[in-house]
Amino acid sequence: MDIVFSRLGDNEARFVLEGVSDGFANSFRRAMMSEVPTLAIEDVRIYDNTSVLFDEILASRLGLIPIRTDLSTYRLPSRCECGGAGCPRCYTVYTLSVEGPCMVYSGDLVPRDPAASPVHDRIPILRLFENQKLVLEARAVLGKGKEHSKWQPTIACGYKHYPVITIDDRCDGCGMCVDECPRGRLANGKGKARVIPERLELCLLCRLCEKACKRGGIGSEPAIRVDEERSRYIFNVEGDGSLPVREIIKEALLHLKESTRSLLESLDEIAGGTSDEESE
Amino acid sequence: MIPVRCFTCGKIISLAWEEYRERVEGGEDAGTVLTDLGLHRYCCRRMLLTHKELVKDLNPYQ
Repeated sequence: MDIVFSRLGDNEARFVLEGVSDGFANSFRRAMMSEVPTLAIEDVRIYDNTSVLFDEILASRLGLIPIRTDLSTYRLPSRCECGGAGCPRCYTVYTLSVEGPCMVYSGDLVPRDPAASPVHDRIPILRLFENQKLVLEARAVLGKGKEHSKWQPTIACGYKHYPVITIDDRCDGCGMCVDECPRGRLANGKGKARVIPERLELCLLCRLCEKACKRGGIGSEPAIRVDEERSRYIFNVEGDGSLPVREIIKEALLHLKESTRSLLESLDEIAGGTSDEESE
Repeated sequence: MIPVRCFTCGKIISLAWEEYRERVEGGEDAGTVLTDLGLHRYCCRRMLLTHKELVKDLNPYQ
């Protein structure tokens, strides 16, 4: 297995993963999306809401605000020592008290734990007009993306096969495929189309170039062919800011490791049991 | 109110709303503003393009 990063920022990563199966690539993607816990507002106690929005819409908007998560501080309620009853290790509280007229932003939420503040301060929550008031208390807990997308640490997270583009000798350099490519990954040179190496990874595998080539009257087989390299993937992971992308990747891989380990253990138990019976 | 996140990909698009509205009302091209604000996917772009702010209209009927 080989991994090469072409970009690794706080909120975005792009890398090529080589030497794994479709199944592994997909479970890695799914683990990043739905098995890495983050904090999100789950319970809201509304003391006063005279705004134009209903309480439940307001609560839904609060839930979608990404919150900086420190996984060493917080635990999933199901795995907490308190048994999910609620303790400082499995939840944190925010208070909000605003009077109109004004716009209420995510930055107006006052966190009990300053380390667990909203990622962005300027997310509009709602607009208050004259004589309107909003007083509430919100509780954020760790959760997983498979339960609700507000706990998903990634936004766009996906992969595609690595493109392999071959241009054979029949190419007459007509330039139709060059004009057709929506990602501009082709260029004309020396009477023949060629691939621009630094733009190759942008290929959408849409095969518009193949169709354009056939329209040029070359016959039933196009001179340019787009293939996918099996077992080589281009991953694109974007985080919502609640966790750095590096940590999302690490946590997802740890999850995969942990789940395969527990599968092996249960297999061992079963296999151990049958082999004992056989020996008896 | 503008949705907090893009319905499809989950990007926080509400951050861009106020600047987007100001600049478009100021006569700039909506497409250029969206690209400027870092909204490259068409799912996020449609969120702002097709949004109609209604809270002001609703307010008298409280």
